[in-house]
Parts: sequence; C-alpha cells; structure tokens
Amino acid sequence: MTDATLITAISLGVTFLFMLGVPVFLIIGYWVIGTTFVLGQSLDNMGAELSNVFVKGFALLAMPLFILTGDLINRSGIARRLSDFAYSCLGFLRGGLAMAAIGACGLFAAISGSNAATTATIGSMLHPEMVNGGYDERFSAATAAAGGTVGIIIPPSIIFIVYGYLMGLSISDLFIAGILPGALMVFAMMLAAWIICSMNGWGILIPLRMGRILKTAFGAWLGFFAIGLVLYGIYTGKFSPTEAAAVTVGFCLIVGLICYPLNRIMHNHGSDTPVDQKTYRDMAVVEGFKLTEIPAITMRSAQITGILAPLIGISVVMQQNLSLLGAQEVIGNFVTGMGGYYAVLFTSMLIVFVSGMILESLPVTIILAPILAPIAATVGVDPVHFAVIFLVGASIGFITPPYGLNLYVASGVTGVPYFRLLRYIVPYLIALIGTWFLVAFVPALSLMLLPN
Amino acid sequence: MSIWTEALAIIPALLSGDSFNITEASRTGGAWVFGTVFTLVGGMIVLAIYRAIPWLDRHFEPTLMVYTYLGMAIIIFVEVFRRFVFSMQEPWSTTFPPVLFLVMTWFGCSWNIKLRTHLAFNEFRTAMPRPMQLACVTLDAVLWLIFCVIVVVTGSRIAANAAMNFQILEGTNNFLKWWFLITMPIAFVVMAARVFENLFEDWANYRSGDPIINQSVIGGDTG
Repeated sequence: MTDATLITAISLGVTFLFMLGVPVFLIIGYWVIGTTFVLGQSLDNMGAELSNVFVKGFALLAMPLFILTGDLINRSGIARRLSDFAYSCLGFLRGGLAMAAIGACGLFAAISGSNAATTATIGSMLHPEMVNGGYDERFSAATAAAGGTVGIIIPPSIIFIVYGYLMGLSISDLFIAGILPGALMVFAMMLAAWIICSMNGWGILIPLRMGRILKTAFGAWLGFFAIGLVLYGIYTGKFSPTEAAAVTVGFCLIVGLICYPLNRIMHNHGSDTPVDQKTYRDMAVVEGFKLTEIPAITMRSAQITGILAPLIGISVVMQQNLSLLGAQEVIGNFVTGMGGYYAVLFTSMLIVFVSGMILESLPVTIILAPILAPIAATVGVDPVHFAVIFLVGASIGFITPPYGLNLYVASGVTGVPYFRLLRYIVPYLIALIGTWFLVAFVPALSLMLLPN
Repeated sequence: MSIWTEALAIIPALLSGDSFNITEASRTGGAWVFGTVFTLVGGMIVLAIYRAIPWLDRHFEPTLMVYTYLGMAIIIFVEVFRRFVFSMQEPWSTTFPPVLFLVMTWFGCSWNIKLRTHLAFNEFRTAMPRPMQLACVTLDAVLWLIFCVIVVVTGSRIAANAAMNFQILEGTNNFLKWWFLITMPIAFVVMAARVFENLFEDWANYRSGDPIINQSVIGGDTG
C-alpha cells in the first residue's frame, strides 16, 4: 500500500470513530499516531510536544486566564449588570430581550475570551427570562448559541491568542483588528433576532426610559471598568495579552471579595430584585463572592481548560505531521490554482467553513492557519486581515452542525435538545455569513483601528 | 536482549535512581512492555486508592487543578504589579506559570474523563441500541488506555532525558525541569484509573438496565 492510501485509510478510520462518538481529542490523537507510523517517525515527538506546547508557551496562558475572567465576572454579578444594561437599551424593540442577550454576549466577550463561557453564562442567565417573556425556547437557546460566537472575535479572544502564537503575529494587533468585525457580528445577529421576533410577535416590550438606562449603566460600571482595563492594556501595549488576562483576573477577584461584605454592610437588595425597585445605592456594588467560593469558581474554568488545552496540544502535533506529509503543498497548490486574490480568499473561506462543520475551531485554526495564511499572503491579503477573516469563519463553526460546540453548550445549559434548536440557528447563520463576507470584502473593517 | 529482558531491565534502572541508566533503559523496545504493564497496573492501583479513600476520588485532580490555576494567575498578576510599582520582576515569573499550566492541563484532562465532558459527537451513539452503546463506551476506554500507554512511555522518556541532562527550569537556580515533566505521565496513569472507573460503571449500568449514556454538561459538575 502506498503512503497516500494508508493516510486516506487512517483519515477515514478516525472519521468513522468520530461518527461513533469517540472524543475529538482521541480522534486527532489516533490520526497523529497513525500518520507518525506512516512517516516512519518515533512517537517520542508526540510525547515531547504534548509537554513543550505548554512549557514553552507563555502566550498560551492567556487562554485559561481569560476563561477564568469569564467565570469571575459571572459569579461576581458583573455579567448580570451588563445584561441589565443591554436590556434597558433594547427592551423597547420587538425581540428586545433576545437582542439584549446578544448585546450582553458582546459585552461579556469584551472581558472574557471564551465562546463557550459566553454562551453558558448568557444562556443560563437569560434563557429562563426569555421563555417567561413569551419567546420560543428553541429560539432562546439558539440565540445563546449564536451570541456566544462573538466571544472569540471581540477582544480578548482565546483563538486570536492561539492564532497569533502559531503565526508569529502580534496578539495585540489581532485583538484590535477583531473589535469592529465583532461589533458588526453583534449588530447583524441583533437584526436577525429583531426580524424573527417581529415576524412571530415574540417578547414583551418595556418602555425606553433614560432613567433606567442611566441606572443600569451605573450598575455596570465595574464591567465597563474591566473592559477598559483590557482595552487599555492591549492598546497601549503596557501588558502582554497574558498579563492583561492576569490583571483582569486579579481585578475581578479583588472586586468580588470586596463587594461581598460591602453589599451586606449596605443591606442592599438582592440580585433577584427588579432593576426598577433598586436604588443607585443598590447598584453601586455587585453581589461579589466569598473567599471560600473561589475554588468552586476556578474549578469551573479549570474544567473547560482541561477540555480545550489538551486539544491545542494534540492539534499542534497534528499540524506538524500534516506539514511533514506535504499537506501544505497539496492544499496550497489547490488554493493557488483557483486564481487571484478573491478566488484564494473565497476558497480559503470555504475550506474553513466546511472544516468548522466537522471539527472544533481550535484544531481548525491550528491545522489550517499555517497552511492557508502564507498562501493568502502571496496574493496580497494582509496577514492581520486574513487572520480576522479566518477566525470569523472559525467562530461561525461554533454553530454549524453537525459539530457546533456552542450548540452543545446551549443545549446543555438550556435543556433544549440539540436537534430541536438547529432550525432556529439558521437566521443567525445567514446573518453571520453575510457579516463574514463584508469583513472579507472590506479590509478596513479589520485594519482601520490598528495603530500605525 | 529480548523485549522481555529489556522490559525487566527497567526495574533495576529505576531502583538505581541514576538518570543515565533510566534514560538508556527507557529507550529500548522493552519500555513499551513495561509502560503498558505500569500504566494498566498503576491505573488499577490508583482506582483502588480512590475506592478506599473516596475523598481523594472527589478532590485529588480538582485540588491540583484549582491551585495550579490560581497559582499561575496570582504569580503573573503580582509580577505585573511589581513591575509597574517597583520596576522589578522575578525571572521565573514567565517560566514557572507555564509548567503549572502543564500540570493543570493533564490533570484537567483526567477530570474531564471522569465527568465524560470531553468534546464528542454523541448524536448517533445516543440513538443506538444498548449493546451498541456499551460497545462504543468500551471502545472509548480501549482507545484511552492505549493512548495513556503511549504518553506514559514517551513522556517518561522526555522526563528522564531532562533529568540526565540536569535541565534547570529557566529563571530558577535549582528547580529541575524533570520534576514538572514527569507530572504528564503521572497524569496519564491517573487518567487510566478514570477510564477503568468509567468502564466498570458502564458495564454495571448495562447489567442493571440503567442508561449507559447520559448528557453531560460542560461546567455543570465541577466537583
């Protein structure tokens, strides 16, 4: 048997295992083991890389830290305040709560860097309210899943960190480049939610009142401060992304621990009290958490990191084997054979989209970015612009069946079965694909905020 | 030397405590035999310890995960603060957190095996008849165990090599790198224990008629 036949057999074999429900980590792991034998190499390389990826990857530390930030802002009550603010601004529109959920995802994403954390937090927080507010539960779950996609585009972002780490690009530049496309994704999804809700008459309208907006904005001041802290660090370059993540974690820990006793001393109303019944004094501090709660909060983040980090490690080895097998040349020849600038761009987008349907976004990025980015650069696509195009595509992969991580997370936190929410994800998918093309056609959307 | 002799030769090498001898012995084909026995027996021993001390079953990996996680966050945060305020920073502050990340990652991987929260496409599996479901979860266990053996053998070789070369963790004077690198094969032995635990539970569920596959929620049960 030729090497090509063997590799095809290995790839088909692991695809079969994937369909049988074998964990993705093992799928990639066994592909790596099989191809290592075909390449006639030692498995020692795999063992070495599974530790080296972490031991030598200070930049990668931003990933667990931004995941922890997400859980801290959720538990401290900051996330709730951000969603209250979003609802105050958008509740007067038909589908206001759905739009607020998407807006809250955008605000949450500006502090955390994880799509799964964004979906889980906003989904578990707003799904019951949406169902009580007359929304279809499938639409509500789909909204949480779709809203979570911006978690990795609006900075900070785990996947930008991985991309920058792999491709040697400035992670700060990538973060800045993600701001406008992320905002555009939020806007497009809000538009989709508004259209769907208007057609179905879903949602209870609340009057637009400046007093309420100001009060909820005041209540969310700690969230805005955290967003400012991240953006300040990134824009000024005073911290590396990893340090910005640690500073945000430190800020959230301090805020949570100070606010908890402060709240008790001030005898504030609880978090369940409607905003209208709260005073400015109530809104000054968030609920916070006790010192003894920190291990449980950290454990939740650690569990998510324990899923994603091994995937990064094994995907890096997979990427190395793909390079040794000459996949870069094969895919490169195919993509460059398509023609010029737009042909290369759209072929790359198609490859990312299809891969996102069957693989988790981290492996997609680790495997395809080193292959596609150099080709895109040869036809004149700016590396940072291509990174944004690539990663917006990868983020859409979070809601494309059969393998859409956010769909699973949303299904898990809302209890809506996976297959039942697929129909309601379609409008969001259309909105996001439209935005993706806009980002691809207009490089300025990604590049205009970059410092010269 | 036969592969069995090579495998047995690892025991005196380990007992000698000499990193050169260990490295040489672990490079042979017999290391795979030794590694297989070590992983499977080690996994069963760890599982027996978990059964004997349920507190460890519930808290061993979570404790490691939480304190390494907080450790890396606090080290980086404090060092950024010291750099801004006092214009000083410890040289190990960028090398020590990554090894904590290594520890957290692989013990976290083990905990997710216990919780069955590793990402997988379970839609077809859940629709299968019970015997097929049992076959699938058994297949998972076999695949995990083989993978554990591979990482225990190759990861131990890397750690032994680092010990032989007296590699020091960058930025420190006396922290040997192998102290941290060896945690990866140890984590994979713990993973083997979790795989056995799940497998026994699945077979018990099959016999008792309880559901074999339950929907797990990421972040749902954090111990």
